[in-house]
Order: sequence, then structure tokens, then C-alpha cells
Amino acid sequence: MIEDPRLVQVQRKTRLRLLFSGVTLLFYFSFSLNWMNLGSFLREPIGDSVINGSIVMFVLLILGFIAAEMIFMLISRREKY
Amino acid sequence: MVRVLLLLIAAGAHLPTMAAGGDISGEVVRQPVNPMAIGMFLVFVALTLAITWRASKSTKTSASFYNAGGEITGLQNGAAIAGDFMSAASFLGITGLIFLGGFDGVILSIGAFAAWPFMLFLFAKRVRNLGSYTFVDVVSERLDRDRIRIVAVFGTITVVVMYLIAQMVGAGKLIQLLFGLPYELAVVIVSALVLAYVAFGGMLATTWVQIIKAILLLTGVTLMAILILVQSDFSFDTLLRMAGDSHPRGEAILAPGVLFDDPVQIVTIQVSMLFGILGLPHILMRLFTVPDMHQAKLSAFYASLLIGYFYILLLVIGFGAAALLYNNPEFFGIGGEIIGGSNMASIHLATALGGDILTGFMSAVTFATILAVVAGLTVSGAAAISHDLYAEVLKQGKPDPVTELRITRITVFVIGIVAVLLGIAFEDENVAFVATMPMVVAASVNFPILFLSLFWRGLTTQGAIAGALVGLVSSIVLIVLGPQVWVSVLDHEAALFPYNYPALFTLPLALLVTWVVSKADNSERGVIDKQNYDDLLIRSELGET
Repeated sequence: MIEDPRLVQVQRKTRLRLLFSGVTLLFYFSFSLNWMNLGSFLREPIGDSVINGSIVMFVLLILGFIAAEMIFMLISRREKY
Repeated sequence: MVRVLLLLIAAGAHLPTMAAGGDISGEVVRQPVNPMAIGMFLVFVALTLAITWRASKSTKTSASFYNAGGEITGLQNGAAIAGDFMSAASFLGITGLIFLGGFDGVILSIGAFAAWPFMLFLFAKRVRNLGSYTFVDVVSERLDRDRIRIVAVFGTITVVVMYLIAQMVGAGKLIQLLFGLPYELAVVIVSALVLAYVAFGGMLATTWVQIIKAILLLTGVTLMAILILVQSDFSFDTLLRMAGDSHPRGEAILAPGVLFDDPVQIVTIQVSMLFGILGLPHILMRLFTVPDMHQAKLSAFYASLLIGYFYILLLVIGFGAAALLYNNPEFFGIGGEIIGGSNMASIHLATALGGDILTGFMSAVTFATILAVVAGLTVSGAAAISHDLYAEVLKQGKPDPVTELRITRITVFVIGIVAVLLGIAFEDENVAFVATMPMVVAASVNFPILFLSLFWRGLTTQGAIAGALVGLVSSIVLIVLGPQVWVSVLDHEAALFPYNYPALFTLPLALLVTWVVSKADNSERGVIDKQNYDDLLIRSELGET
């Protein structure tokens, strides 16, 4: 049985979608570490400032998610379909 | 005690209510009439009504009513999504939470923002390619269209009605706070304006109301953030030190743990917000207002940029409120409580930073926020009834266009009247659970159907219906047994279920039931459902018909 080449391409794209979603989901739920003992290091101030890892993580997550979207869009543009 | 916060958050439509621990307090106290705020709001109303008048000329068919003719660009739609999304709850509620409890308040920000990458990765292109006007179009593509439409429409109507109640009650309370207008008058004004926008201008007018509101809100919060940073010599570290010095809890507010101490509670909020937003019908509907799949993806991306920018600024504004208000007795009553409740923190901050002009501007923008959200909900509710039920189920996809548009407009008026009646009826009720329910139902009913129909070959109609019903029933039961109803409404001493947001449990349950029933489904229809998947997959990516 010869599989539709479009289907193969679309299935590959589906895996890409799920990969990006899985990684993003992992980072998203990692934010709950801030409220766990496991993530106590995040609550420590950085250097001499009062800015701690929790605040930095919040900002980095937002910027990181936007960066992930940009990468996803760039990969999508290069694809045939 | 938490009621005012809950109402305000409900007013935002996209953030869940939360039973924050700690000392959140503040009853709704009608404030003196604010002529500056009313004047600025009237300017906004005049501008948006002019746009509606113009939009009404091109809203002649159901298609133009539901999706603005599909002529909105990605940037415009992204701004409209952001306008729909950056709510009164975000601005007032999150700022108020950070003012009270510091870092813990940002859990709502990250929850609200994170849905957008998923919207881009999973839904934007596929939903746009497969649907016409609503997400129900998408899920009915490969399943038994009549049965799944009825179930999905029920999910949509449940979400829309619950949101409308929460919106109207929240709007009435907010406008009492911000403008000094009576509750009933506020509810009627909101409904009348939304009826004008939606009935005559449809999705086109709604879109522009949301775009204008987004621009105004982003301008306002940017200005406030700059004025705050001026006070700390543009040093965020200095700002945090000032907040820690001023706040009664000191530098403890800079780290997690002041309002929340249970990680499971945090995860329940995260699950409800992320998957709830991905299942909100009026948000998904915006993907159909653009001409093609590329613009749909751009919509989600631009929405992310604007919403991310907004939430980062809220961090500055929230800690700015803590830094600048606690030491200023002008904003506190005789008993030491902040005037109007903690949710007025951002408005008081506007007063501290920019006097009456900035206060009036931010109050007017907040009112505009409510209008934008209610307008989006009304369009979604009208489309569910006139398109999904009347045109697609009753008329089997072949309705008379004139009759369909007439029914759409009648539905809009009915929704407007129902909204006023519900708003007044629920004025003195504890509506916290009403505001929670849409997010949990959207996460447990709409999201699983939509996600599995796009990404799982094995889904069958029977499985989807069983999963949706289990998701709906379990959501309602666990919310009733939870603190918001069992304790706050029914006055029991302790809740039978400890969390306000059961989506952490109801979503997996709905997925499990869907999987089991689909696997066991050997019916003829089940075989067709599975065979339809490859064709749907190709069309969802390539846009072919």
C-alpha cells in the first residue's frame, strides 16, 4: 500500500506540533516548583539584589514562550506544506 | 471576604476565580461620581458607536456577522484577541493580588499567557482550515455532525451563560466602584451598548471595539509603568526594595508563599487556566475572522506578544502599587483598609501617579474592557444558537440566509435581555462558583473534544459524547462539593472536595472516558469516524477541501 506523501508530511508536522507543545507544557508546569521544597533555590535572591529566581523565571518563561513561537513559525515557513 | 476579588476576576472573563488565602478583603462601596472617568468613557462610546454604524453597512449576511467577512488581518486580530483577553481582572485583579500578596499574584498571569503558545502550536492553523464560524464546525467535521453539534453547543452555551452572569455582576460592582453609578444602571448600560455593537455591527464592530480597547489599555499601563520606574530611577531592583520596605509582610512578598502554600492548588489553577482558555468558544471563534491559515497563526503570535508585554508590565505595576500606596494614608480608610478594596489598588495607583486625569483614563479603559468582553461573548452565544443549532442542525446546513441573519439578531437581543435579568438577579448572590465554572467546563468538555478530534485517529462520536458528558457532570459536581459552593454558598463547615478548580481531575477523567468508550466502540459510525481522520488531517494542514 502506497501512503499519500501529503499524509506523511502532515504526520511529521503533527509530531512537530506535539513536540513543541510537550516541551512548553513541561516548562509551564515547572513554574509550580516555586511553591515546592524542590524549588526552594528559586526563592533565593540573585547576588546583591532582591530580585530572586522566581521573578526571573516568570519573565524568562514569558520571553521563552514567545521565542518558542517564533522558532515554530520559522520552521513552519520553511516547510513545503 | 474574597467576594470582591472574585467578582472582579469574573469580570475579566479569562481568569479563574480563586480562593486566595490570606487577608483579601473589601466590600463594594459605591464611590463618588467621577466626571473625568465618565467623560473619557463617553468619548470611547462615541468612537465605538461610530465604528459600529460604519460596520453595520457591511454586516448584511450571517457570514459577515459571525466572522467579519474573514477580512481582519493577523495583526488586527491579534490585537483584538489581546483586547478580549487583557481584562479588568488582569488589570485590577492581578495588580490587587500582587499589592496584597506579592509574587503569588503572578500565577494568574503565567496561566493566562501560556495558553497562547498552545493556541499557535495546536489549534490556530487547523481550526481555521476546518471551521467556518465556530469551533463546533471543526469537531463536527469527522464525527456524527448532529449528535456532536448538540453536545458541543451545550458546552458553548453553558460557558457563555455562566460567563455572562459573572460578567454582568462583575460589571455592576466595578462600575459602582469606578464611576459611582448605581448597580442596575451599570448593568443596563453595559447590555445596551453591547446590543448596539453586536446587533448592528456583528463581529466587525466587536473586533474594532476590542482593538481600540487594547490600544488604550496598553497605552495606560505603559504610562503607569514608566511613571513607577521614574520613582525608582528605572531600577527594578530598587522598586522591589521599595515594595518590600512598604509592605506589612516585608520582603516576603518578593517570593512565593504569601497567598498560596499548597503546590497542588497551584497546579489546579494552572490546568484550569491553560486548558480552559484553549476551550473558550468566543476565543476560538476569533480564528475565523482572518482570511487564511497564515493570518490565523499570526493572530495567535501577535496576541502572545501583546499579552506577554502586558503581563510583564503588570509585574511592575503590582509591585509599584505595593511600593507607593502602603505609605500613603490618602488611600486607606479609618480602619486601615484600602478604600474600595484591594482591587482598587491599580486605580489608586493611577491617582498617585497621574492625578484625576490618569484615574479617569484608567477607569474609562476598565469599563471599555467589560464592554469588549461581553460583546465577544454575545457574538459567540448568538453564533452557537443561530449557526450551530438553527442553520446546521435544524436546517441541515441549508438555511435561508435572510432568516438566519434575522434569527442571529433576535438571539443577540434575547441574550442582552437575559444578561440584564441575570445580572440583577445575581446581584446579591455569591457568584464565585459561576465564574469558576466556565473555565473548568471549557477545559473538561470543549478542549478534549477539540483536541482529540484534531490529534487522535481513534476518536469516535460515542467516545466524544461520553467524555464530554462525564467532563461536564464531574465539573459541576466537584465545584458544588468544593469550597466555593459547599462552604461559601451552602454554609457547611468544610468542603467535601478541597480545590476550587477541579479541572486537574475532571480533564483527565474526561480524556480517559473518551478513550475507553472510543476503544470499545465497534459501531458502523465509529468505523466511519476513524476512517475520516486521515482526510481531516490533510485538510487541517493544507486547507484543501
